Amino acid sequence: MPRLRGVAPGLALGLLVIDLMGMLVLSVVTPSFLSTYNLFVTGRDLSILLLVALAQMVVLSLGQMNLSIGSIGGLVAIIESGLMVRYGWPVPIALVAGLLLGIVCGVINGVLVDWTKINSFVLTLATSYVFAGINLGITHATPFYHIPSEISSFGQARVGPFPLMAAVTVVLTVLLAGFLYQVVLGRQLLAVGGNQLAARLSGLPVRRAVVTAHAISGFLAAVAGTLLMAQLGQGQPTIGATWVLPSFAGPIIGGAALSGGSAPVIGTVLAMVLISLIDDGLVLVNADPFWVQFLIGALILGAVVLGRTRLGDIMTFLLGARRASRQELSR
Amino acid sequence: MALRSSLGAQIGGRLSRSALVRQVALLALLIVTAGFWIFFSVAASGFTSDFNLFSLLRFAAIQITIGFAQMVALSIGDMNLAVGAIGGATGMFAGWAMQTLGLPPEVAVLFALAVGLLLGFGNALLITWTRINSFIVTLATASLITGAMLILTHARPFSELPGSFTSFSEMETAGLPISPLVLVMLAVAAALFFLYRNLSLGREMLAVGANRQAARMSGLSVDRVVLLTHGLSGALAATAGLMAIAADHTASPSLGSDWLLASFVSPAIGGTLLSGGLVSVPGTVLGGILLATISNGLLLVNIDNFWITVFLGVVLLLAVGLDRLTRAAGGVVS
Repeated sequence: MPRLRGVAPGLALGLLVIDLMGMLVLSVVTPSFLSTYNLFVTGRDLSILLLVALAQMVVLSLGQMNLSIGSIGGLVAIIESGLMVRYGWPVPIALVAGLLLGIVCGVINGVLVDWTKINSFVLTLATSYVFAGINLGITHATPFYHIPSEISSFGQARVGPFPLMAAVTVVLTVLLAGFLYQVVLGRQLLAVGGNQLAARLSGLPVRRAVVTAHAISGFLAAVAGTLLMAQLGQGQPTIGATWVLPSFAGPIIGGAALSGGSAPVIGTVLAMVLISLIDDGLVLVNADPFWVQFLIGALILGAVVLGRTRLGDIMTFLLGARRASRQELSR
Repeated sequence: MALRSSLGAQIGGRLSRSALVRQVALLALLIVTAGFWIFFSVAASGFTSDFNLFSLLRFAAIQITIGFAQMVALSIGDMNLAVGAIGGATGMFAGWAMQTLGLPPEVAVLFALAVGLLLGFGNALLITWTRINSFIVTLATASLITGAMLILTHARPFSELPGSFTSFSEMETAGLPISPLVLVMLAVAAALFFLYRNLSLGREMLAVGANRQAARMSGLSVDRVVLLTHGLSGALAATAGLMAIAADHTASPSLGSDWLLASFVSPAIGGTLLSGGLVSVPGTVLGGILLATISNGLLLVNIDNFWITVFLGVVLLLAVGLDRLTRAAGGVVS
């Protein structure tokens, strides 16, 4: 039985209870919460933002960050819709090209991080501006309208209250969990996140782990961008522009450590459900939409303060992984 | 000319080569900036006009001040992702104080700086109390501050600022195309230079940045240094916000939302270590001027604004990559 690193049962249980309570409160206070349409819309937002959060979680599990998730998602959506609308490419080929582009963007991040050893925060901040700039340079901030109807109708498709695109997210989430917890490379990825120097000295393929994690992150961002394009029914250049906060909120509330080594898939899922509930609740009670941003900030702080029992992780990050690993080596 | 403020440089000897490399890097930055000025003077008509130089230098002054706000946080090995949020919120606060409350600009400016200081203190208290790293704390507080600002102002801009406030940014200094905002930035730069070179607080900040654990064990009050540093970062972000609303003649709710890259680019180009312990005030000034020169010049030669974004991202990559090379050559990092 493989040990599920980073899945703190207490935390996940706590989040589950909060989620269930939130659903109960919402369905009592605002009966329209349980309406088919509301569940469909909320489920659709959740399907997309969960992929965004998982894209960040994969890289966090390495002890790195990816600030370019949103701009990869935006660029992919623009390239896909541009290929279909302007050049008349068939839908499947355009989608495959877009998803490959997402993987390529992720590989670029991973190779640059591994090669230059530049702090991943700064590196992906820089590449995020490159990707976003290419997006806007191509589109001049004008959307590609009239994408093929197969795509836009997929964005509206549902089975009962369940959006069809949720199937994509569920499959990818299960595959990701399986990869991280069961596949050798996934385990190696967590090992590298736990202690890069030890992993290197043990002969683990550190470079392959780093590039793989960033490639998966780019792929998940690309899928999220594609789904949002389908939902909006057009290739919006602004896709992904607001993803930085949710991408970190999910894994951090879900119990990920910035210092790496943990990949709380279940915690991230439950945290994103909570964020969707807050989002939806505020819409249903007609609150000022700006409250969402405020409450997510409060939620991150609250969750981290509550979960700061993992003081060792935080100290390791504060002191820097390099110094910490050097100390461990000299011990 | 001793342009670097490195704690390690005092030790001399082993590190002198790295200090030399840093001087050379700063000189190279100066040459690159001068090269761009010469290039744009020839290639872009109107680059050297008084009007263009005035707006270029004023833009540079704001970018540099934004960079300073991040630089002080970086000096202790922290980050402040809330620089834009604090700058935007204090800019809006000043707009509200002047337009709605009718306070005189001087009073509004002081209040806004105090708000920036307090928001920075808030960041620091959360960091020191909870021992959560500055990235998460300031990511969360940035969201809290911007959210609160939007809720309170309903995202409505303050566009009727008093003329005495907005004309300040339009004045010329001694007949030269230099806005008083540039002088404000230079005064801030001089103060920061003095802080890091001559004051014990500045040296303590660098010590905390170089090795927080060692600083704590040497009896430094790390929490006090963190508190003062983030307070200073907040006040500098507020200064940048005030400069921006003076230059824009309006306090807009989107102010600060695009400061993240700018805040890192100038210090990073200028040789400030992202891991802490080493800052370069002149480097940040030069970095900001280079940034503003490139943005301004590319616009004048009719390059799309969007591609300038790509260019700035690449510049940041090159700057940090160069920084790694410099450190490797200097032997600071083994």
